[in-house]
Amino acid sequence: MESKNNMENVFSKLGDLKQFFVFGQKIVPVIQKIIDFMSDVVPLLENVNNSIQDSTSKIPKASTQINSVTSANEIATSEILDIIDAMFLDLSTIKTGLQELKNDENSEKIKSLNEVVEKIEMDSSRITISLQVQDITAQQLASVNHLIDSVQNKLSSLLCDLGKQQDRPIPVFDPNSVSEQDSDFAFSDGTFNENARYDRTTEKQDLVDSLVLENTKTSQEEIDKLFAK
Amino acid sequence: MTPKKFLVVDDSTTMRRIVANSLKAIGYNDFVEAGDGREALTKLDADTTINFIITDWNMPEVSGLELVRSIRSSDKYNKLPILMVTTRGLKEDILEALQAKVNNYVVKPFTPQILREKIDQILASI
Repeated sequence: MESKNNMENVFSKLGDLKQFFVFGQKIVPVIQKIIDFMSDVVPLLENVNNSIQDSTSKIPKASTQINSVTSANEIATSEILDIIDAMFLDLSTIKTGLQELKNDENSEKIKSLNEVVEKIEMDSSRITISLQVQDITAQQLASVNHLIDSVQNKLSSLLCDLGKQQDRPIPVFDPNSVSEQDSDFAFSDGTFNENARYDRTTEKQDLVDSLVLENTKTSQEEIDKLFAK
Repeated sequence: MTPKKFLVVDDSTTMRRIVANSLKAIGYNDFVEAGDGREALTKLDADTTINFIITDWNMPEVSGLELVRSIRSSDKYNKLPILMVTTRGLKEDILEALQAKVNNYVVKPFTPQILREKIDQILASI
């Protein structure tokens, strides 16, 4: 009786084994596919990894270049302002000279020359207004630099996770490492407005004016209330 | 009130020059400059003739808004007129500045005429 039970047990185990082999026959092609996929994907991941490492190593250079652009723009703008200042002095000299030359015969001519001088003064003033674009673009570039810094940190941490740093050192961008020339433009939170736009429409100033007016009215109402008590 | 001396606060040398030129263009020739809020507070302590402040918002060390709050909380300077000149033109920014008690607000880029208008409005209101 016990021998019969043992045999039934063996047959049951053999049945299980058969089912396992049948399952194995089905699963082997799937495993093969997974292995093929892995062998395809591993070089691809290696490529991605190398690309990330390359990009990461280039980021500090990009940041430095952006700082150089800001620096060059500021220098150029300053030079233009110097020229405009000199022009204003020259125009002032011309105006004085014209005034001295004025007499009954040439008064019309002097008047028209004065108008030309005034137009040049006005145009120079308009150039000065347009030069505010330097400050606005500097803030936009600082915002881009800040973004690059964030991407750099994310990529560095990704590379650390991938263990790649053991093969090659991961460059970490340090804003303090920018050259002396660029040091004025080292960025940090709060030193720039990421929404800075060169917008010559009066839309924003109109909004300011309405809010200032509203604020003034509210303050006046508060004062009136205070005195009414 | 007649402004004796302006304190122009901006971390951009270009903007300081533009504000200074604009002030000259509208007839104000006396001003000192500071590159951030901290320097502004130092200059304010050193020069008692300063009686009008024009400040940017986004600056290193001490921002324009922090400068305004610092001035408004000071017994010595809390009455000083302050005009904020900034690129920040969002409603919440303007309201935040007004809440900090700036006297008026100008969005860059500005013209000397706008600057004059706002200075005149401040002077008329104090």
